[in-house]
Amino acid sequence: MEIHRRLSRDVPKRLAATIVMLALAIVMVIPFLWMISTSLKTPAEVFEYPIRWFPAHPTWAHHLKVWTGPKSFGTYYLNSLKISIIGMVGATFLSAFAAYGFARIAFKGRNALFLIYLSMMMVPPQVLFVPKFILFEWAGIYNTHLALILPGLFTIFGVFMLRQFFLTIPHEISESAFIDGAGHFRIFFRLVLPLAKPALATLAIIDFSWQWNDYENALVFLIDERLYTVPLGLQNFILENTVDYNGMMAAASAGILPMIAVFAIGQRYIIQGLTNSAVKG
Amino acid sequence: MNNHWMRRQRLLGYVFVGPSMIGVLLFFLIPAIYSFALMFTNYKFMNPKAGFVGFDNIARLLRDPLFYLSLKNTVIFLLAVPVSIALGFVVAVILNRRLYLKRLLRGLYFMPYITSGVAVAFVWMLLFHPKQGPINGFLRSVGIAHPPGWLSTTTSSMYAIDIIWVWFLLGYNMIIYLAALQEVSPELLEAAKIDGAKGWQTLRKIIWPLVSPTTFLLLVTGLIMTIKTFGIIQAITQGGPGNSTTILSLYVYQNAFRYYDMGYAATISWALFAIILVITLLQWLGQKKWVHY
Amino acid sequence: MRKKGWFAGMAALALVAGTLAGCSGKGNNGGEAGGSGGAKSPSASASANASGKAGEPVKLKMWGGVPPEAGPQAVVDAWNKDHPDVQVEYVRYVNDDEGNLKLDTAMMTGQDVDLFVNYSMSQTAKRKESGFTLDLSAFTDYDVDAKMGPDAAGWKIDGKYYGIPTTKSSFFVALNKDKLDAANLPVPKDWTWDELREYAKKLKAGDGYGFIQHTEPFVDPIDSVLSQDGYTKADGTSNLDDPLVRKWLETLNGMMKEDKTTPPLGEQLTSKMPVEQIFLSGEAPMLNIGAWLLRSSNNFTDYPRDFKIAFAPVPRLAGSADKYVTRGGIGDYISINAKSKHTDAAWSFLKWYADGGMAPLAAGGRLPASKDADQEAALKSLLGDKADTYDRDSLMYVMFDNKTPTYVRSVPQEVMDLRSQEYEKYFLGSQTMDQTISAMVSRHNEFLKTAK
Repeated sequence: MEIHRRLSRDVPKRLAATIVMLALAIVMVIPFLWMISTSLKTPAEVFEYPIRWFPAHPTWAHHLKVWTGPKSFGTYYLNSLKISIIGMVGATFLSAFAAYGFARIAFKGRNALFLIYLSMMMVPPQVLFVPKFILFEWAGIYNTHLALILPGLFTIFGVFMLRQFFLTIPHEISESAFIDGAGHFRIFFRLVLPLAKPALATLAIIDFSWQWNDYENALVFLIDERLYTVPLGLQNFILENTVDYNGMMAAASAGILPMIAVFAIGQRYIIQGLTNSAVKG
Repeated sequence: MNNHWMRRQRLLGYVFVGPSMIGVLLFFLIPAIYSFALMFTNYKFMNPKAGFVGFDNIARLLRDPLFYLSLKNTVIFLLAVPVSIALGFVVAVILNRRLYLKRLLRGLYFMPYITSGVAVAFVWMLLFHPKQGPINGFLRSVGIAHPPGWLSTTTSSMYAIDIIWVWFLLGYNMIIYLAALQEVSPELLEAAKIDGAKGWQTLRKIIWPLVSPTTFLLLVTGLIMTIKTFGIIQAITQGGPGNSTTILSLYVYQNAFRYYDMGYAATISWALFAIILVITLLQWLGQKKWVHY
Repeated sequence: MRKKGWFAGMAALALVAGTLAGCSGKGNNGGEAGGSGGAKSPSASASANASGKAGEPVKLKMWGGVPPEAGPQAVVDAWNKDHPDVQVEYVRYVNDDEGNLKLDTAMMTGQDVDLFVNYSMSQTAKRKESGFTLDLSAFTDYDVDAKMGPDAAGWKIDGKYYGIPTTKSSFFVALNKDKLDAANLPVPKDWTWDELREYAKKLKAGDGYGFIQHTEPFVDPIDSVLSQDGYTKADGTSNLDDPLVRKWLETLNGMMKEDKTTPPLGEQLTSKMPVEQIFLSGEAPMLNIGAWLLRSSNNFTDYPRDFKIAFAPVPRLAGSADKYVTRGGIGDYISINAKSKHTDAAWSFLKWYADGGMAPLAAGGRLPASKDADQEAALKSLLGDKADTYDRDSLMYVMFDNKTPTYVRSVPQEVMDLRSQEYEKYFLGSQTMDQTISAMVSRHNEFLKTAK
């Protein structure tokens, strides 16, 4: 009875809090709603106020132009997917590998090496643009996707984050494994990696979103329009078509909506991945 | 256990760290050293004539008014990080209570973070339109006759960018706090649920300190990430109007790829490095005061 | 057991390496299939071309800033049809920071760029400095001065041509003739900024603007003055405190703030105001722009329009007309990459292009500058079936008959930027006129010092 009364007293409060948070959440997504609505309008309707959320004469012309023109967003999407997925998988795996080394093996020079890693984490990418440019040109990978993929395989943040996680795994586990005659490789693949799944998922998600949104590197290292990624293609499209705001919003939708769709479908896993991990600093 | 085997096992450390080390060497360390050397040259992109100029670039930096201005703008930009952390914390605490539609709400708050910064920047540019934009339309309709000019004035533009950035980061901070709150014991959270003074006290005195390691992590990574960003600014204002949104990272980009002045660009980027280093060290030292592990 | 551990590790590594190799292959293929000179692989085919095997056509790549569908594609298609031995491909770059960087890095990294269009003298100078522009004085069968007239000389560097300026590049104020007629205002043939200001006041309707400007020619009035009076004084210091610079700032500021006849600059810049659309929809009656307006004004699908467009020259700041120069003359300065393997083929194409091959570009507002080109045909293609929607007399005047001398923009990017940053602060009200002028001067002086 007691519990029941508490719960029923709880309902109005819960409801009120939900409504307030929902209202704020809608404010958060208003930019997206406005973007979609504008992309379907005619130029004259763009700035009508009060906002007409449902355009009087919706037109798909702007979207058609974005997706079917000579520079279709389809290509940009394939490029971005390729770069982000390879980068994500590679970076997560390589980070885990290195993080294990740093966290669980007391090899000589470990601390010095890790200090170098930490200091490199603070180096702004701007420092590296010019030399990387020269390096890529020399290696012949300038203006290829490799110029984004290869550096994308290495994330110092990832090594740092996973090392923190591996440190929290009790040492007894590996010690008993050692006694059974298992080496580091076996411990890594059989014991540590499965334990680290949530942390790996977190890193993978964060890394993917970074690679997906990376505009700066693509801007500097890609020339060929057919190699462009989504952020770069979007910027390029808008610069070439500064004719109307509707087209601009259609292009922005093209850059955003598929991501939102993927997120909506996978949000349970994505957010779980992020929340389950031990991001404990 | 066999000593020899143990030693061999220890050598495996290099094998584990090796692949990553090669990448760090190639894509971080060597370029960093190279760019350090560039600082002392007048190397201009495309121009074959380059020579060592000693400390000229550093002297130029120290008397460059634009450097100080972009430093100031960078600091204003960084304000977005603590603000988005505070808001993210508040939202996380509320969402952690018993609510309806929890999953939907989390998703909506998180959505900005997964979208492409450049695309979003263009949307905000129009929302902020001083004369016809919906934001000012709304402000006027609620009786504010002279709403701010947002991106269009030199005094407000940097803060308008801050708003975009808070909006962008908030969801991420919220999610990470939600994770941290799961580790806090339910009794404490229950106590915090009581509204009014007591709830607020619990929140401030107990929960906030409990999640302080998370706050610390968000602060360090948020500041570093923000200080490196320039994509959204390049997309919508290119540092203007005037130079009111020229932040250091953008100033580096402009010098390198607009003026092709690589030597000077390297110099500014190392100044940027020095600033990141100082901020991180300060936080590291300061954490003892407020971070409770 | 231990061995198995090792094995798993190596297998995983091999897997990663395999993925890498796989994707690297794809990356290159993407570049090749793209065909616009990606990756390194094209170098192989380039050297094959260089050896000049019979039957294999020479392939040229021309980089320009005009969208292919606005003429260049038709130009190269026409050439390719008649010249099976020399096939030209057009590559578009956007004429902004990123676009120019793209072109410059392409040349730096030795990718195929045989011909490229420069749109400003400062860009050309940088490229000449780096040895990318071929000195055309080696070719004696084409007299640029004779063909292109006296305006071409503005493009000379140290007395030599490193390219051929190909188009008449007109800059003008486009006018909504219907609105002018309604207000009983004549189409001016020579006017000052004060007169334009009056026009704008009379033409302003309600909340709208009387005059808008494209950002590209926005700063031209200052350059018009300084190209005559000098960017530096006799003692080598900045001349940005020229009284006419002040005059320009005052006039526009008055228009933005007192008259409210032109948009505040902050609003225009941070909303990327689509000025062509605003003008062509009839919202604003006067637009300061260049010949590229015709690309949009001939396009009735995207820009339906129900009024006639008339043209006026860009107004001058000075009271008297005798020292006045206007921007323009001729532009689209096409250079041959000195590192190209086919400079001779590129030269043949360039001559053909300049002497009329470029005719299809006229539809986008780019008339050939060469006296050998068929101007009447070009004009016809310029106006297309929309000839009735333009005021022919004033069009002829700004494009052909106006004999005002011209200058070519040749200010370094750094100076362009420092000026615009300071005047933006002035127009936005965050600094006074005196602060603006002194900031411009001191930053210009600092630039002159470091550039030395």
